[in-house]
Amino acid sequence: MTTKDLIESTGLTPLTEFEPRNVDGVFVSDMLSDVMAGAKSGNLWITVQTHKNIVPAANLVDAAAIVITSGKKVPQDTLELANQHDIAILWTEISTFELVGKLYSLGLVTK
Amino acid sequence: MPECQHRWSMTNIQFGFTVFEKCSHCQTVRTYFSTQDTWDEYREGLCLWSIVENAQTFRFDLQCTVCNQVQSNEDLLGLLYCTGCLPDCKVEILRKECAARKTWILVAFGFLPEAKTKPIPERKLQVLTDYFNQRRDTSRSTIKIVWFDQIKSLSLCRGEFIHDVGMLSLEAPEERKPLF
Repeated sequence: MTTKDLIESTGLTPLTEFEPRNVDGVFVSDMLSDVMAGAKSGNLWITVQTHKNIVPAANLVDAAAIVITSGKKVPQDTLELANQHDIAILWTEISTFELVGKLYSLGLVTK
Repeated sequence: MPECQHRWSMTNIQFGFTVFEKCSHCQTVRTYFSTQDTWDEYREGLCLWSIVENAQTFRFDLQCTVCNQVQSNEDLLGLLYCTGCLPDCKVEILRKECAARKTWILVAFGFLPEAKTKPIPERKLQVLTDYFNQRRDTSRSTIKIVWFDQIKSLSLCRGEFIHDVGMLSLEAPEERKPLF
């Protein structure tokens, strides 16, 4: 599944410009240290954190995309930094719990 | 016997806190890793040490999955990304050069003040760089890790450490306060 497929099948809203890429697994955490220690290349990273530091963390672990849940507003500086690094930021109003349910039903699991 | 083409993996992961403390008497900044969340001031001779920042982070070693060699990173404080705050800083110049070929620069810090005179060897930084590149799709982009002595002025640098400070409040912090 690619980020493009994911957007189409879950209704996630893209907030940045990025090249589509394969999504391989899911990682859920609101802590950068947790992500750096545990996320894998190609993972979809789901969080409610919106500070711009999420971008270098996602970049470091080569996340396929960051998904901001629960309708959290994403600051402009976060989006600008993500665009510079070709990091996909996707957004949804639904909660992390609901999104994980949707992703699980699509066959995406922690990897 | 051919030299091992190391494939690195994280090992000995330990979650804790990176503490930045400053003495109001001598103005020295010290950093250390702690498993305890501490904010206490304390005296040490004439020095009065206060916490400047206390961030959740983790430390780790690297182990080669082929030959089992272990690289200890106990002298690594953390990684900082450049925010382009000082146009004539070597890190910013390198960051701009490397961005064109999609190589992202991160700055490794050791524990202060020791790290100013005893840098992490280039060989170890290369292993860190190799590790982060081995765990990513390098056809899209790569990582390069440099030592913090490339920063023009620590006291003016507004680069951001990739660690958890003020992040759990869900409110975006303002520009970070000076650490050094």
